[in-house]
Amino acid sequence: MENPKYNRLRDPDVLLSILDNLPTSIFVKDENLRFVYSNELHCQMIGKPEEALIGKCDSDFYRGEEAEGFLANDRAVIEGGQTNISEEMASQESGMTMPVLTRKARLKAPDGNTYLIGTNADLTEIKKRENQYRALTATVPVGVLQIEEGGGISFSNPLFNVYCGGDGSGEEGSHLVKQLAEAHPGFPGVACKFEGNVQVMGAEPRAMLVMSSGWLHLGGEKRSAIVSIIDVSEMTELRRINEEVSRLNKELAANMKKLAEAQDELVKKGRMEQLGQLTATVAHELRNPLGAVRTSSFLLDRKLRGKDLGIEGQLDRINKGIVRCDNIITQLLDFSRTRQLACQPEDLDGWLAGVMEEMAKGLPHAVSINVLLGLDGTMVPFDPARLQRAIVNLVANASEAMVGQGDDPSKFACASPSISVTTRRVGEEVCIEVKDNGPGMSAEVIARIREPLFTTKSFGTGLGVPAVEQIVTQHGGRLQIDAEPGNGAAFILWLPLTAVDDGSQDDAKVA
Amino acid sequence: MSRQLNILVVDDDAANAESLAELFQMDNHKVIVAYDGRQAVEAFSLNQVDIGFFDVMMPNMNGVDSFIEIKDKFPEARVYFMTGYSADDLIDKAVKGGALGVFSKPVDLGKVLATVEAEAA
Repeated sequence: MENPKYNRLRDPDVLLSILDNLPTSIFVKDENLRFVYSNELHCQMIGKPEEALIGKCDSDFYRGEEAEGFLANDRAVIEGGQTNISEEMASQESGMTMPVLTRKARLKAPDGNTYLIGTNADLTEIKKRENQYRALTATVPVGVLQIEEGGGISFSNPLFNVYCGGDGSGEEGSHLVKQLAEAHPGFPGVACKFEGNVQVMGAEPRAMLVMSSGWLHLGGEKRSAIVSIIDVSEMTELRRINEEVSRLNKELAANMKKLAEAQDELVKKGRMEQLGQLTATVAHELRNPLGAVRTSSFLLDRKLRGKDLGIEGQLDRINKGIVRCDNIITQLLDFSRTRQLACQPEDLDGWLAGVMEEMAKGLPHAVSINVLLGLDGTMVPFDPARLQRAIVNLVANASEAMVGQGDDPSKFACASPSISVTTRRVGEEVCIEVKDNGPGMSAEVIARIREPLFTTKSFGTGLGVPAVEQIVTQHGGRLQIDAEPGNGAAFILWLPLTAVDDGSQDDAKVA
Repeated sequence: MSRQLNILVVDDDAANAESLAELFQMDNHKVIVAYDGRQAVEAFSLNQVDIGFFDVMMPNMNGVDSFIEIKDKFPEARVYFMTGYSADDLIDKAVKGGALGVFSKPVDLGKVLATVEAEAA
């Protein structure tokens, strides 16, 4: 193809001028390895004009060993036809050396001769940068290495050498890399990050955090991976210590909470004991005069009965007043009693049947009682006298909620008032449920009913439910309350099947 | 016709002791009143007592210790207790020492009179 544009390139001067202005050093040698051409840049690198080079060998410019090396390379190219690429340090006439990348290739020219075409690229800048990078890797607190796809280690920084305990590029380095590959499948070819234990030669295993870039093309034909490793054994130890400290802190916080609760409990218990003492004394002091009033009223009744004085109503009110006072004292004693329980395992159902039979006699006739016992003779540890007080309180409350005092059907809260008392076992607990079909309770009442002195009754002490809760808690159990307005109320006493040490104290000795 | 009994009422609360005494007297029994445990022991020594009603907590000597001492001298002594509040340990001691029964204060007078009637029968 005749392109007029290329015609000028047929001019040797133009061609040589182009070659002289390329940023690459170019030289041509004949079969005898004598220079036949050198462009301007090559002349500068060698430090001689072209005229001084033509017809000369490397041995004319370089010292023996260096020259021999170059010539051996050259022969391999000319005779073997293999292109040779190598990094060399080229000495200049001035005595300076510079790093060069030399490429040499055989050329069968149109003139029938064989030539060696060589180019040199100045690596000074590249080498400078490479050295900077290497210096950089020497300063980081991380072991760095470059692994070639074939398995060799082409670079390792000083810290990696320390980690592997020797030559990073040698046997020691390979030994460490092998351990890492065993610790993590895919390493180093797959990008990854993991922690593994590494047995460094002659030392204890250490925890290492390892990161690999995975196979990368970094310019050459083969791929390589950049790997960094950090000794985290101290960090791991610190982390373990930190976790331990954190755990101990939590434990401490929990213990502090328990201590605070125990202190609260002690204060409460202390108050209850004080209240128990006070109540015992007051009960004693009130019951003596109350006894005198009752006896005197009894005497009056006997002396005046049948004399038609019309005092029966008054005497009746006095007697009812005495009963009510006595009930209030009993409730106060129930609530404030902190005396240790006298628990004995007993057939709860059998005992409860007896209690309910006795209780039913004292309830208003309008109230029907259903007792459903489901414990089948299960032995339960409890204090009969105390638990009876709880049952009496609950049944009396249920009855009063439905029929009041039971004497005025127009004031009954429901048409067919009934109380069911049920027992059953659930796991390691038994429960006694006292359920009525009365007016139930609002959420507000349920929220406050366990508070001492809270009452919805005009004649209540507000100590009935707190006393029940106190009794069941002393047994190691709990009181559950299920109720809603218009739908009756259920009070459920949960008792454990195994006895507990309630740790309570003896009451005051008053009688 | 039931016989007349010598009844000892022991209570540091005079109103209680005296009203109870009057009640027994209405049924034609002879009543001796003592106001503490010590007096009760003396009363037993000086009188032929058929039956006693003892309070528990009293000054000088409590009812139970008094009863134990009496029982030691007069093994046939018949005594009931009246208590305003269960001092269980003392009550246990009294029952183990041979007390016949315990009434809770304010005592149910029907039951007390029934007891006396049974003793007098």
